Amino acid sequence: MTAASGDSRLAADRIRAFEQAGSAEELVAATRRLIACDDPLATVPHLVQVLGFNNPGAAVAAVDGLIALGPAAVGPLLANLDAHNYGARAWAVRALAGIGDPRGLDVLEDALATDVGPSVRRAAARGLGALRLEALTEEERRQMRERCLGALESGRGDGEWVVRYAVAVGLEGLALPLPPAHPHSHRAEACLQQLQDPEREDTLVVRLRAGVALKRLNAR
Amino acid sequence: MAGDGAPISEAEALEQLRQTDDQSRQYYAAWWLGRMRSRHPEAVPLLLAALRQRQPRDVGAGVEHNAVARNAARALGKIADGRAVSELLVVLDDADDGLREAAARSLGELRATAAVPLLTRRLASGPEVAGAHRSDSPRLQEPCEAMLEALGTIGVAEAEVLAVIKPFTSHGRPLVRSAACRALLQLTGETAWADELLQLLQHPQLQVRRAALMDLGAVGWRPALVPIQRTLAENSLKLIALRGLVENGNGDEADSDDEAVLMAMDALL
Repeated sequence: MTAASGDSRLAADRIRAFEQAGSAEELVAATRRLIACDDPLATVPHLVQVLGFNNPGAAVAAVDGLIALGPAAVGPLLANLDAHNYGARAWAVRALAGIGDPRGLDVLEDALATDVGPSVRRAAARGLGALRLEALTEEERRQMRERCLGALESGRGDGEWVVRYAVAVGLEGLALPLPPAHPHSHRAEACLQQLQDPEREDTLVVRLRAGVALKRLNAR
Repeated sequence: MAGDGAPISEAEALEQLRQTDDQSRQYYAAWWLGRMRSRHPEAVPLLLAALRQRQPRDVGAGVEHNAVARNAARALGKIADGRAVSELLVVLDDADDGLREAAARSLGELRATAAVPLLTRRLASGPEVAGAHRSDSPRLQEPCEAMLEALGTIGVAEAEVLAVIKPFTSHGRPLVRSAACRALLQLTGETAWADELLQLLQHPQLQVRRAALMDLGAVGWRPALVPIQRTLAENSLKLIALRGLVENGNGDEADSDDEAVLMAMDALL
């Protein structure tokens, strides 16, 4: 490693150290240091780049860093989505789900419906219930929630229990800020009731999570 | 459903298992019927026929036949039909250790108490003999992990059974130790065996940490919640382990303890 891995918190030094990282372990350490430098925004393109390196340790660190940066990371993430690098795309979906920026909706919708990896579909389902809609107009919020609900309702039929579990979490997150009488809240509750029904849902932990979601919605 | 391989129907799967010319088709069909937990009345009889297709181990051409038989044995455990028990008990004495392994796991899934005397007999010689390394492969003389896990799942907590399992908690392989501790924890509920598993969550090898995660989940050991959260392993495996904590030993509604585990799961999605 270079001197930049020492005490300096300067982004430029840390980016240089990152670019010179020779081994998988060095890359993980250099990625972690990127997140904690003096100008994290300057590191976004490099963090996005890490997602395509097929180094899970570094990718986990990069996703955490991108989520911490929030909306500022969304533009570069969307601009660099690589349809041909499955691994990179999967990590980007996880980052977008964690950030909750409405601009990520298209990607999350598509991931829950079509991604081959259950870990990507489960992250997308969680993200679809956690979009931050406060800054939008009433009508924009309604349209976005409509799409999130539709995607989650379809996700209820997923073959993997962990994705259906995440759908229950997503529905809770989507409905909790709404007044109980809101039509979107009714739709979310109807879907949760199906996830709680032993006749329709065979995995106990999914039914229990749906039950907790309904209890919380009733307590609003 | 995503990720289930080539889409075939149940009727096609049954047909492919019935024919015996193309064993790769039989192999896939047997797996498919187990994966889908087929309830078709022909599924169990056809799988039993495929299980009887097995051949003596050392006949050179017999490898493929036994691959089909192994998948059939696994599928019979997933379908969990009691009619499979007597044939699986016979397979537990087969010369092919891969078949014995599949049969042991399935008899565990079937909670077949009739398998306990056979399993304990095959393990009775202990880590030095049943658990000894084979000269011709990296495997052990007996499929110890599968047999120990089956004893724990079946749940006969008699003194003779415990006495057979205990020596395996000091086997040289951490995966065997993990299986033995899991079984003893299931059978006795004694904290000492859980402590061993919690230690294994910090083992330097990822493969061992994964096994300990699955074992604590299978037992449903609640005090493992925080250690599981802290384990260095994929979220997917931690989620399966935490699902085990919630589901093993639980009613139909989540109490506050369950909610703590569910919130830990939410954080891993």
